[in-house]
Parts: sequence; C-alpha cells; structure tokens
Amino acid sequence: MSNVPEIVVRSEFEAESIGDAVKADVARKLTPLERLVDMDGVRKFSILLALMIAWELYTRLSGVSELILPTFSATATAFYDALVNDQLLIMVKNSLTILVMGYAIGLVIATLLTTAAIMTRFGSDVLSTLTAMLNPLPAIALLPLALLWFGLGSSSIVFTLLHSVIWPVALNAHTGFMGVSDTQRMVGRNYGLRRVNYVTKLLIPAAFPSILMGLKIGWAYAWRTLIAAELVFGGAIADTSGTQSGGLGWFVFANQMDMRIPHVFAGLFTVILVGVIVESLIFTTIESKTIRRWGMQSS
Amino acid sequence: MSTQKNLPQPVIRPEFINEDIADAHTGDVARELSTIEKIWNINGVRKVVILFSLVATWQAYTVIMNVEPLMFPTFLFAAERLVVDLFQGDLILKIWFSVKVLVYGYGTGMAIAAVLVLWGTSSRIGGDFIAMATAMFNPLPSIAMLPLAMLWFGLGTASLVFVLVHAVLWAVALNTHAGFKNVSQTLRMIGENYGLKGVPFVIKVLVPAALPSILTGMKVGWAFAWRTLIGAELVFGASSGGGGLGWYIFESSQNIETEGVFAGLFMVILIGITVENVLFRNIELKTVNRWGMQRS
Repeated sequence: MSNVPEIVVRSEFEAESIGDAVKADVARKLTPLERLVDMDGVRKFSILLALMIAWELYTRLSGVSELILPTFSATATAFYDALVNDQLLIMVKNSLTILVMGYAIGLVIATLLTTAAIMTRFGSDVLSTLTAMLNPLPAIALLPLALLWFGLGSSSIVFTLLHSVIWPVALNAHTGFMGVSDTQRMVGRNYGLRRVNYVTKLLIPAAFPSILMGLKIGWAYAWRTLIAAELVFGGAIADTSGTQSGGLGWFVFANQMDMRIPHVFAGLFTVILVGVIVESLIFTTIESKTIRRWGMQSS
Repeated sequence: MSTQKNLPQPVIRPEFINEDIADAHTGDVARELSTIEKIWNINGVRKVVILFSLVATWQAYTVIMNVEPLMFPTFLFAAERLVVDLFQGDLILKIWFSVKVLVYGYGTGMAIAAVLVLWGTSSRIGGDFIAMATAMFNPLPSIAMLPLAMLWFGLGTASLVFVLVHAVLWAVALNTHAGFKNVSQTLRMIGENYGLKGVPFVIKVLVPAALPSILTGMKVGWAFAWRTLIGAELVFGASSGGGGLGWYIFESSQNIETEGVFAGLFMVILIGITVENVLFRNIELKTVNRWGMQRS
C-alpha cells in the first residue's frame, strides 16, 4: 500500500470571471446569400461557370490562335455541329457497342476463372500467378499482337478490352471471396445453404464491395484502352463495321489531323460525358442500392 | 402472475446417451506428410511449377504445331531476342527513357496533387474545386489528351509528361482528399490537443491517418500512368523523340518481328511487377501494415 502515490486533494473553487456566452450569432438567421452559398450544387455549378467564363475571357483577351486553344463558345458550337452533322452519336454508339461486348465477355471469363480459383487450391494458384503477371501489363501493349492475330477490326479491340477487364475483376472478386469471414460462412451453412445458393446468397453479397471495386477498375481500364486503341485504329473499325464512322477516339484523332481543334475539344467533352455518366450514374446507383443500403460502406 | 401463465412452458426432453457414434479416426490427422506433399504445400513451389508449365505449354504448342513464328514465336526465340537486345542492343536505353519520363510525370503529378489537396483541406471552395475537377477529369482517359498535348507542347518529352501528370494528378488528388476527409474527429482533436497546427498538423496527423487511402491513390495513379505511357509511346512513340519501351514494341510489330514484341511485353510485365510487388508492397509493409491499419 505504501507504494501507491497519495491522492492529491485540490481545494474547491468557483470561477467568477467567465463572461456571458454570446449566443446571438448561433441563433442568427442566415441571409439568403449565405443559404445559397451553403447549397452544394450552387457552389459547384458556380465553379463550373467561373471556369467556363475564365476560359472564354482568356482565349478572347489574349488572342490565342484558335488552333492552339479555341474559345469556349467555338467548342460548344463545334459540339452542336458534331452532334447534328458528324454523327457523333453514332460514333458514341460504335464505341459503346465494342466496350459492352468486351466488358461482357471479360466478365464471363473472369467469373469462370474465379469459380475455378475458389473451388480448388490449384485454381487459386493459377489465378494468382496469372494476375500477378498479366495485371501490370497494359492492355494497349497487346494491340500490335491482336492486330497480327485477328486483323484490323473490332475483334482486335475486343481482345485487348478482354485483357483489360479480366484481370482486375478476377483479382478483386477472388480477394473478396477469400475475405468472407468464417463466421458468415458458418451462418450460411447453418441455414442449410449449399452450392449455387451458398454462392449467390452468401458469398456474393458478402464479397460485393470488393467485386464492385473490381468492376469499376475494369471499366476504367477498358474505357482508357478503348479510347487509346481507337485513337489509332478507329478508322479500321469503321471500314469493317459498315458504318461511315469509327469510334469516339477516332473522332478526336481524325479532327486533330484535320486541325479542327474545336471539334477535338468537343470530342473530349463527349469522352468526359460518357465517363461521368457511367461512373456517377450506373456505378453510384448500383452502390447505393446494394452496399450502402446494406451498410457495408459509408457514403 | 397472470403474464407468466401466458408464457409457453419450457420443453423438457429426456436425457439420452448416443451409443453409435463411431470412434474418431485420429490416424489421418496425425499422419506424417510425405515428402511430395510437403513440397507441394510450399506456395512458391506450386507457383513456379505453374509458371514453368505455362512456358512449357507455349513452347510445346509452337514447336509441335509448327506455328508460323511471325504469328506466334516460340518462347525460347522470344527469350533469346530479349537477352540479345538487353545486352547487345539498345533496349536498356529505351527502358531508361521510359522510366525517366515516367518518374518526371509521376513526380510532377504528385507535387501538383499535394498543393491541390492542401488547398482543398484548408478551404471549402478548394474542396469543391477538387470535387468538381476530379469528377470531370478522372473519367477522361489521359491518352485522349495526347493529341492536344502534342499541339501545345510539340512532339517531345514535354507532351508525354503532360499526359502522365494528367493521369496521376486526379487519381491521387481524389483519393488523398477523400482520405483526409475521413480522418476521424478524435484523431484530429488529439492532434489539436498536442498543439499541432497548419503544415505540421497535416504532416503528423492527417497524412499518417489517411495513408492507406493515399497509397491507394498512388497505386491507381501509377497503374494509369504506366498504361498511359506505354499507350502513348506505342501510338505516338515515333514523334516523342528518343523512343521508349512502347516504341520498341511498336517498332518490332511494324517490322513484323513478333519475337521482339514478346520481348518488349516481357520487359513491360517485369517493370510492372517490380513496381507493384516490390516497391509499393515494401512501402505498405513498412507503413500501413506495420501500423496495423491494414492487414497483410
């Protein structure tokens, strides 16, 4: 007991000099301007607007050649012109068709690989060896080979897209399945879930954050690969598919070759637009309907 | 008392002894593994065997089917080409060129991202700006900026660095900003309690706390940058002056030296594995894994 330090007893005191709390400012009504600025959408929209105005002013006042940096209004006009006269929408459709084809086939192959990997240890080893090797390999580097094997055409691009989708999706799905906790697995077995039911009702929901992550990475790689491939070989797709236009990447490249720079910017806008739509509409909707609703990821 | 009457009575089952459970077989659990089983249980051995059998299949397929080497060269042919070009050709110089451009672009991108995120964490308008810019530019494949970059900066390394910056900047800024925002209030208050303010607060509290997220951003940024660089060199490599690894692949495919294409792909894979599994893995082991923020 003697080793325990003595308890320090401090004398009581009353603090006299604390001033009255000023609560006026907390209770004050916000002015309409402050309330407006507090709205998220308004702030972001005004930033966007300010950027556009700055762009327009800069290009007009500094007298930059239109071939270097066109004005915003010229870009907008070019965008409209491309929509009406240059079949921009058909080009977007061409790009998306190839993208969806590659993405879908890639998902099927990734599913097969992952299934083999979670069923046997050998399959898991094969998958991890293959992904370690092929995931760091940019898909676009396979394009020269694909052109040699499949010729100039959309099948070459689909092949490179496959490569860009399969590895991230399989890798993430496999990690996700491996990370499902034993408790959850045992709960599933306790409910008598087996085989297909076990996978669809237990493993997939439990591993869904990881699977979705793989799908998003796969999309990002595929989209980048597609644009890069089309930048160069888009003209070839145009010939084989029978339509008059190639894809979106080809639109950018061809207009750059013709020095129609406003149209290049319009093409980039479209690329951004498609990307934003897929990422923030499709994937965010899936996220909010699944993992956020299930409380697996905070918004 | 009346409420208790409504409760169901506990069911009392008679006790019983299960007689016919067979004796547990402990024999197989205690059995010594045979040497083959022990070897097969080593992770590395299995992976090497898989790798080796893949290579053997490739070699056997191309030799037995007598595939045209222009379409699909044998493994040995491609490997030989790689060794010859590495030691006698200028492949090393091309790799050095690629890596140099990559490091320039990555470094510049990281620096700009750091400045941007500092602004974003210190003011609301900066945060909004980051949110807007990343939402807009992150979905834009940086390779699509290459035609513009070539127009603005001419044919040369500067255009390549510009697209690489674009590839790195948004991924890093997005993840770092999200990481900073998610640092828990408790950690922030502890930092403030220690009297940390401004830059020391960011370096000593925010950065370590958000490091898993920052590392994710850096890894995504690296992956995009590497893909962009190879793509850019492949596509516009001739115009970028010296020519890098992508240009080597393109050159080989133009000369229909398919074994050269494979040799280039080997190098691309090798560099990718080195950066991802050696560089980033070690950083992770020394930081977030050691600090217990992420399981290995």
